[in-house]
Amino acid sequence: MSDPQITEVTESADVPMLEMRDVTKMFGSVISLFEISTTVRAGQVTCVLGDNGAGKSTLIKILSGVHHADHGQLFVDGVPVRFSTPRDALDAGIATVFQDLAMVPLMAIWRNFFLGSEPTKGWGPLRRFDAATAKRITRQEMGEMGIDIRDPDQPVGTLSGGERQSVAIARAVHFGARLLILDEPTSALGVKQAGVVLKYIVQARDRGLGVIFITHNPHHAYPVGDRFLLLKRGRSLGDFAKSEISLHELTRLMAGGAELEALAHELEREPGADAASVGRELLRETETLG
Amino acid sequence: MNSRTRGWLLATLLVPVLVLLSACSDRNAVNKVHNKSGGGSGGYGYKIAVVTHGGAGDSFWSIVKKGVQQAGKDMGDSVSYQSDGDPTKQSQLIDAAVNAKPDGLVVSMANPEALKAAIERAVKAGIPVITINSGEAQSKGYGALSHIGSDETIAGQAVGTELKAEGVKNVICVVQEAGNVGLEQRCAGVKATLGGTVTNIQVDNNNLPGAQSTIKAKLQSDKSIDGVVTLGAQIASVAETAISSAGSSAKLATFDLNADVAKAVEDGKISFAVDQQPYLQGYLSVVMLTQYKANLNVLGGGQPVLTGPNLITKENAAAVIKLAAGGTR
Amino acid sequence: MTATTVTPADERVVAIGLVRRLLVKPEFGALVGAIVIFVFFAFQSDVFRSMDGAANWLDVSSTLGTMAVPVAMLMIGGHFDLSAGVQVGTAGLATGIMTTYWGLQLYASLAMSLVLMLAIGFVNGFLVTRTGLPSFIITLGMFLGLQGLNLGFTKQITNTVQVSNLDLVPGYHSLNNILGSTVTIGGAKFQIAIIWWVAFTVIASYLLLKTRFGNWIFATGGDPNASKNVGVRTNRTTIALFMITSAAAWFVGNTQIVRFGTIQAQSGIGQELYFIVAAVIGGCLLTGGYGSAVGAALGALIFGMTQVGIVNAGWNSDWFKLFVGVMLLLAVLANQFVRRFAEQSRR
Repeated sequence: MSDPQITEVTESADVPMLEMRDVTKMFGSVISLFEISTTVRAGQVTCVLGDNGAGKSTLIKILSGVHHADHGQLFVDGVPVRFSTPRDALDAGIATVFQDLAMVPLMAIWRNFFLGSEPTKGWGPLRRFDAATAKRITRQEMGEMGIDIRDPDQPVGTLSGGERQSVAIARAVHFGARLLILDEPTSALGVKQAGVVLKYIVQARDRGLGVIFITHNPHHAYPVGDRFLLLKRGRSLGDFAKSEISLHELTRLMAGGAELEALAHELEREPGADAASVGRELLRETETLG
Repeated sequence: MNSRTRGWLLATLLVPVLVLLSACSDRNAVNKVHNKSGGGSGGYGYKIAVVTHGGAGDSFWSIVKKGVQQAGKDMGDSVSYQSDGDPTKQSQLIDAAVNAKPDGLVVSMANPEALKAAIERAVKAGIPVITINSGEAQSKGYGALSHIGSDETIAGQAVGTELKAEGVKNVICVVQEAGNVGLEQRCAGVKATLGGTVTNIQVDNNNLPGAQSTIKAKLQSDKSIDGVVTLGAQIASVAETAISSAGSSAKLATFDLNADVAKAVEDGKISFAVDQQPYLQGYLSVVMLTQYKANLNVLGGGQPVLTGPNLITKENAAAVIKLAAGGTR
Repeated sequence: MTATTVTPADERVVAIGLVRRLLVKPEFGALVGAIVIFVFFAFQSDVFRSMDGAANWLDVSSTLGTMAVPVAMLMIGGHFDLSAGVQVGTAGLATGIMTTYWGLQLYASLAMSLVLMLAIGFVNGFLVTRTGLPSFIITLGMFLGLQGLNLGFTKQITNTVQVSNLDLVPGYHSLNNILGSTVTIGGAKFQIAIIWWVAFTVIASYLLLKTRFGNWIFATGGDPNASKNVGVRTNRTTIALFMITSAAAWFVGNTQIVRFGTIQAQSGIGQELYFIVAAVIGGCLLTGGYGSAVGAALGALIFGMTQVGIVNAGWNSDWFKLFVGVMLLLAVLANQFVRRFAEQSRR
C-alpha cells in the first residue's frame, strides 16, 4: 500500500465491502466459531458484540489473515477471497487495530507509525529509512486526528491509552485501509477516553471507511453502530441492522435475558410471590450493569 | 521455496565444493603429523582408572593423557581418563571410578584434603592407588603405593636459582589459572630462592590476547622488571610477544613445554624451560600399577619417583622440538 | 481527505533542545563512564595516558568490542548468544586446521570457515525461531557443544590442544597485513584491528538507526507479537542477527590466529559474558528493544581501559573481577538514573 491518499469510495448499496458467510473455525475439537455471517459497508460501522469466550478474537484473526476459516467464505467487494498471511489482508485494505495495538512501547511514535511499511530513500546497500519524511507524515496524520504530537521521538509507551489508540487508528487510516477492524478499543479506557475513541471511529466512518467495532459494551456500540452482530460461545445470536433492534433489546440479548426469565421462575420464594417481579428485578439489574 | 531461493542455495553449496577442489596443497599443510604408534604387544588386560585435576584444554594434562593412553596400549591394559579441576567433582569422579571396580587407580591431588575420603575408600576396597603430579606430602598417608611427579615448590626453587644466576632481580610470575594450588606453589618456590622481588599477576588461559595485553601493560608500567616467569607453555609464547612489543629486555623462563616453547628456547627467546615430563607421569603410573598387579613390584623404596625438574636449555632444545610437536613432550 | 492542516510550530518543541536529546540516547551513560574511567586512570599512571598505553588498552577494547557490537544488536533484537565466545575459537581453529593439516589454501580456508560460522549462526537462529525456546537455553547448548567439539576435534587432529604455525603458510603475509599488522602513530604501534572495530561500530550503528532492518530489530526485540502482526519479518530478522554475530566471531577468531600464528582449543570460552556486560553498560536492556551499538563499543572501551589501567596503576590484579562487578553495577545504575531524568523532563 504505497498510496497514502484515501479515495472516497462510492460503493453500490448492494455490494458490501466485506461479507462473511457461514464462517466456521475449530481448534481441535473445540468449536470457536460456528456459521457466522455478517456484512460491512463503506461509511458504516458494524459492531461485533459478545462477552469473553464468545469468539470475537478468533473472528478478528480470520478477518486479518492470521487464521484460516475451516468452513464458510469471505467476500471482499463481492469477490471470494482467502488470506494466507496478514500481509494479504493488509493488501486487500483490511487493517486491524489489535487490543495490544501492535505497538512497540519502547520505540518512538514515528518508528511505530511506519513499522512494517517503512519509507525508504536511496537504493542498494545504502537504502535508508527515510526518517525525515516519516516524522513529518506522523505529525501530520496525528494532527488530522486532532492530536498535536509535541515530539515524534517520544516512545509510544509514554502516551496515554486514548492517545495510543489514536496513533494506531491514524496509522491504519494513513496506510490506505478501506476497512478498519478495531479490537475492543474502549475496553481498557476510562469514560472520557472512551468517548474520544468513539469520536475517532465516527471520523473514520465519515471518511468513507468501513469499520468493524468489537466490544463487549453495548452502550459504546449502539451510538456509533449501523449493524450489530451478537456472538455467544461461538454462535450467532443474530445479525441486526440498527433499525431492527433497540439498545434495551441489545443489552438484554447480551446479558442472556431469555435465560434470566427462566431462572426467575425457578426462584419462586413463597407461593403467591410474584415470580415475574423477581425476573423484572433481575433484568433491571443487568441493564444497569451493561 | 521459490526458484530464486533454490538458486541461492545451490550457489552457496557449490562454492565450498569448488573451493575445496581447487585449493588443496601439501605446501599449506605445515602441521601434517605422521604419527607413529608404539608397538604395544603387552597382554596384561588390567583395567586402570585415571582421575586427574587437569583442565580439559590444558596442554600439560593432554600430554599426561597421551602417556596414559600409550602405556595402556603398550601394556595391553584398558585405561580410562577423567579429569575435573574442581576438587568436589574430582572426588565424585574417583567414587564413580571405584564403583566400577578397577584393577588400579591413578589420581593427582591438587587439593588432597578434598580427595582424602574417596582415595581411602579405594584403598579400603583393595584397589592399589598411585598419586601423580601433586599431593606428594599426603600420598603415603592416604595409603597410596607411590607418588610419581615433580614437586612444584622444588621446581619453583630451581627456577629461582637459575634466574638468580642469570642476574635477574625483579620478576613477575604469571598465573594463568586462578586458584590453582600447584601454580601458586611454583611462584612461591621462585620467590624463595630468587633473592629479589616476585610479583604474581593473574591472567586467563582462555583469553590469550587479553593475557598478552596484561603482561605488556605490567612491563610498561614498571621498567625495573627484568624477568618474567610463566607457568604454562601456552602463556610462554604470549609472554614472548608481550616482552618484545613492550620494548622490554626482560628474560623469560617458563614451566612446561610444547613445540613453540622448545623452538623459542633454541632461538634464545626463552632462557630456559622447566619440564616435569608429564608424559612420563602418565605412562609410568600405568606401568607401575600393571607391574604391581602382575608381580607385586613397587618402585621408589617408599620415596616419590621424581620426573623433574628437568631444565631445557639452548643446548638440549633442538632434540626436544620434534617430540613436542607430536604431543609427547 | 480533509485539507492538510499545517501543524503550527510549537514553542514546546523548541524546548526539546540538543542537551535533552543527548541525555536520552542510550549510549550517553557509557560515554560519561568512559570519560570518568579515562580521567581516573590517566591520573593514576602516566603510562596509561601515553601513546603506548593507549595502544594497549585500545587493543583489548577492540578484541572485546568487535564482538560486543553484534551481541548488542542481538540483545536489542531480544536474544542472547551464549555461544558467541566459543565461536571465536571455532572460527580460528577451523581456518588453522583446514590450512595447516588438510592443505587448503589460506584464503580458501578463510572462506570455508566463514561458511561454517554462518551455518552455526543459522542453526542458532533457526532453532530459536522454530522451537520458541529461550535463546539463552538454545545458545547454551550450542556453547557446550562447540566447547566439546573444539577440544575433541583439535586433539584428534593435532594431538595437542592448539593449532600453530599458520605463519609458515603461503599467503600468510598478505593476510597478516589486513588483520594482524600494526599502524604506528606517535611512536606507538596500534593494532589494525582497532580500525576494523571502529568501522564495524559505525556500520552497525547505521544499520540500527538509519535502515528499515534496524527498525525491525528494535521492533522484534521490543514486542515480537506486535511486530509480526504488522508484517515485520521477525524470524528472518532474528536469524540474520545470529548470523551477523557468528560472522563477527569469524572475524575475531581469524584475527587472533593470524596475529599470533596460533590459537588454543579452548579460546574464547568465558568471554561471552563480557560481551553482554559491555552491551549492558552501553545501554542495552536485557529484555530487548532498546540499546545502542555505539554504547556497546564504549562499554568495551571502558572494559579495556579498566583491565589495562589496573595493571598500569600497579594494583593487585587479583581484584580485577571485583572491580569489573562494581563497575557494571554502577554503570547500569547510572544509565537508569540518567534515562529516568531525561524522561521526567519530557513530561
